[in-house]
Amino acid sequence: MHIPDGFIPFWQCAIYYIILIIGLYFASKWARENLDEKRIPLLAVLAAGIFAIMSMNMPIPFGTSGHMVGGALVAIIFCAPEAAILVFTVVLLIQALVFGDGGITALGANVLNMAIIGGCTGLYTFKALKGKLGIYASAGIGAWLATVVAALACAIEMAIAGTFPLTVGIASMVTYHIFIGIIEAVLTVIVLMALDKFRPDLLIWNKNRIEGGE
Amino acid sequence: MDKRDKTLIIIAIIISVIICCLAPFIASGDPDGLEKSAEDANVSEDKATVVITPPFPDYTFEPFESIGEVGVLILGVVLTLVCGWGIAEIVKRRS
Repeated sequence: MHIPDGFIPFWQCAIYYIILIIGLYFASKWARENLDEKRIPLLAVLAAGIFAIMSMNMPIPFGTSGHMVGGALVAIIFCAPEAAILVFTVVLLIQALVFGDGGITALGANVLNMAIIGGCTGLYTFKALKGKLGIYASAGIGAWLATVVAALACAIEMAIAGTFPLTVGIASMVTYHIFIGIIEAVLTVIVLMALDKFRPDLLIWNKNRIEGGE
Repeated sequence: MDKRDKTLIIIAIIISVIICCLAPFIASGDPDGLEKSAEDANVSEDKATVVITPPFPDYTFEPFESIGEVGVLILGVVLTLVCGWGIAEIVKRRS
């Protein structure tokens, strides 16, 4: 769902850039309080891994393809959507500047959709369901919903931009991302399981368990 | 940095590089959700403009075809890893 340059008028891009700057303010505030030496490598490898996985488009029905985004994953691992803002600003900036994937003027909108909306939807769905459904089911549902809600947001932005009407946007974007969300959910759960197995110390909920709860 | 962090980084790089080596050959070339939605709405193809000319447009490096794609993807992984790490060091917790 990388929005290219040209899909959003400049003045609207400016608004999304303001949102990005506010997001980065909160992200750096979060990092100053929470990002310790131990989690820096994790943040860096997540950025690199997300860059790689975004190249792996998988076919979905309707002659369309999609790839994992990872906003929900980062937000869930760090228990902070702010971490997703940091990671996605780096990934999307490099993709836009070096590879022409996603627009440089659309950077604000792309971070908004994938990191802020995706990250918040994923994390808060996960938190809401975790007690009832357990970690993996709630992370999977969170990741799926993050993809669908981010696609919906993208459709709304496209409608505001006048690029395509809301009806087509919602019908197409949401339909495709219902399927792309399944890829997102499966890969998010796999990464969480792998981390829980090999580096349980990096997951916040294990930290709470080890230290005897919050 | 302790040994476990080094292992994490090495494993993550290995997995990322494997993805980079496979993607140019097995990734679907079908339009993604947004591109397909734009097609559905009959948005003209030249609606997407180029504001800056990227060195490797669409993850390609023309002279080397698929191998070039693998190369630029790996370059991208290294670049994101280094920049991600750099940004994290800049904003990290101050004790």
